[in-house]
Amino acid sequence: MEDKTALRARDFWTSLVLIAACVFFLWCTTDIPLFDTQTGGVTSGDWYNSAAVVPYGIFGLMLLCALGLLTISIKDGGAERALRGAGVGWERAELIRMGCIAIILFFYIFALVPRVDFVICSALLITSMIYGFHDGHPERTKRAAAIVAAAGLYAFVMNFPQSEWAKPHDDDWVTLALWLGLTIYTLINHRDEYAVRIAPVMAILVPLILVLAMAFGFRQNVPNRSGLLFSQIEYHYYVTLKPLWAKKK
Amino acid sequence: MEFFIHQISEFGTALTNLALDPITYPYLICSVFLGIVFGALPGLTATLAVTILTGFFGNKFPLEQSLIALIGAYVGAIYGGSYPSILLNIPGTAASAATAMDGHPLAKKGRGGEALGMTTTASFIGTLIGTLFLLVFVWLLLMISKNIASPEKALLALFGILLSGTLMSKDLVLKGWISGLIGLAMAMVGLDPILSETRYVFGWSYLMSGFQVVPVLMGAFAVPQIMDGMRAAGSIGQKVDVGKIVPKVGTVLKRFPTIARSGVIGTGVGALPGVGEDVAGWVSYGVGKAVCKDGKDFGTGSVNGLLSAEAANNAAIGGALIPLLVLGIPGSPPAAALLGALKINNVIPGPTIDPALIVHVVAILVMASFTMAIMGLLTARVFINVLRIPQTIFLPVVMVLTTIGSFSVGGGINDLYLMLAVGFVAYAMNKMDYPIAPLVIGVILGPLFDETFRRSLLISDGELSTFWTRPGAAILLSLNIALVLSQIPTVKRLFGKLSFTS
Repeated sequence: MEDKTALRARDFWTSLVLIAACVFFLWCTTDIPLFDTQTGGVTSGDWYNSAAVVPYGIFGLMLLCALGLLTISIKDGGAERALRGAGVGWERAELIRMGCIAIILFFYIFALVPRVDFVICSALLITSMIYGFHDGHPERTKRAAAIVAAAGLYAFVMNFPQSEWAKPHDDDWVTLALWLGLTIYTLINHRDEYAVRIAPVMAILVPLILVLAMAFGFRQNVPNRSGLLFSQIEYHYYVTLKPLWAKKK
Repeated sequence: MEFFIHQISEFGTALTNLALDPITYPYLICSVFLGIVFGALPGLTATLAVTILTGFFGNKFPLEQSLIALIGAYVGAIYGGSYPSILLNIPGTAASAATAMDGHPLAKKGRGGEALGMTTTASFIGTLIGTLFLLVFVWLLLMISKNIASPEKALLALFGILLSGTLMSKDLVLKGWISGLIGLAMAMVGLDPILSETRYVFGWSYLMSGFQVVPVLMGAFAVPQIMDGMRAAGSIGQKVDVGKIVPKVGTVLKRFPTIARSGVIGTGVGALPGVGEDVAGWVSYGVGKAVCKDGKDFGTGSVNGLLSAEAANNAAIGGALIPLLVLGIPGSPPAAALLGALKINNVIPGPTIDPALIVHVVAILVMASFTMAIMGLLTARVFINVLRIPQTIFLPVVMVLTTIGSFSVGGGINDLYLMLAVGFVAYAMNKMDYPIAPLVIGVILGPLFDETFRRSLLISDGELSTFWTRPGAAILLSLNIALVLSQIPTVKRLFGKLSFTS
């Protein structure tokens, strides 16, 4: 029962967010012409020609559903609980864990992948996640998040504009140093843990094999081709290795 | 009749060509193996396996070869989910949740090997039953689908989203519908399909082409699993000893009626738009409980209970591919990922699909089910050892896989931003008991719904009656209305009173 009320308290807040979002998007939809649409340069006054018809229907229905959810949450005591300050049933430890994962993923995707060599930033991600979460120590989790955030913040602040994503490589070196530091620290202090021992091997091999397979096997695009390591790999693949088997033919 | 004989002979030719082509085997063995591993690792799903492979293959490989890998992984993953269900009581995928009901009690009684062997056989036969139905019914539906026009397509897409929202909701049905509507709303972003009017772009040129399917799939299915799974995993799991796995032929023959019935049910449920293998497993389990002689023993280690769930979830694969190939409406979330793969290869499933492609898909399904059975019976101990890897070790690897897969499909770094944003939203929705599958189905079917709904209005000059004057449209409209009304408490109470009075 307690769980159900906590869920309804969350539903109460969600329904309010949904109502606000629906109103906002309905307002945005008013920018799309409803009665004076242009089809191939010809003006038409018919509502059914408009690109706004379906969005109005979708957001209108969503608004109705959100109002229904709000009514249910109020009836089931969710609103009372939500407004009483009893909370929505999330524990502090869980919030910290979630916050740390969110920080790691945010900095990895938004700061590191665009700016830092993929092998290096993925190695940092794998090592920090295994170290930070494997045995469920909150201190380790926070430390792992702080290390990824430090690498991400450096890349963000020093090389923010897109023109600086490829070069210079200072953020690559900083990330590499942080990964090495974390790896050495974990191997010295937690070498009795199996997960910590295999983490450096996985951290290097997994992204390296993946990026090589994607770039040269599957012929797909890979992130940050001008990164510290990948630029060297690509150069030697085309300049040193490929001529070897090209000559054989 | 002549038509069917022709199709069977076409299928025979396709199967022979596939079996004689040496390139088939590395693709098939690797993808089925990868699929079983994905299914066996709790937290990884069939949808994720298909989505990640879609990212890898993209449109740089011949579609025929990509399809071998994608379908092989799909079949393997649905089957692979049974390993942790039976041995650890943790469903590897949602599709094998019903498998755990009887599989784990059997393992606790020391019959884990028998359970795995029977599961493998049931999954194999189930997949073949689904494939047989696919081969027969896809042509019938394809003939009917040639008469399907815009109003029917729009109502069918809406039905898929509503049905998925209704059946996938764990809490309130309303949440499933909201999830589907969020997916539909996401599909409205970008240039509209008829007038090329920009919608909700907010000055970001990347959004002009709308939300790409692969990053949305990766975000919706991978990121929440990673966020949820990264918690204290404890030590590496202990070695599990299960005994003999290969079942006796006599035992299989004795249980064949259960497997066949479950296979048919699984195919039927799988063919419902947007529903999926997990619902197929539960429906078949429920029917089995009602009709089997040992129905009262279901849940305590009944082999019939185990087979009811497992044959159905694999048979649902063939079923899920029927609406996908004929109408372009995925029957399950992994089929939705498969649709994404077809789309990036410029193949638009529907009435105009190349019949040779359908025959090729059927032949791949047959080959994949044989590969799965051989692997399952002969190398099960490898997959049992996979269960010992904790989530905190493999989930970071999955994050890297997801990132590079999502990046490579086309949109580059913007696709990664989209993936993470969708992932955070999907995680929050998961926490509040909103099903994610309807959102994804909404994103995939949204453009189809938008285009066909508006085209119907354009052709009929704004007459809404076009949605009930055509017989097919009238049936579909009635189904949509009945589905919504059946979930409204007041209507439910009214029907309850009426049936009580009568």
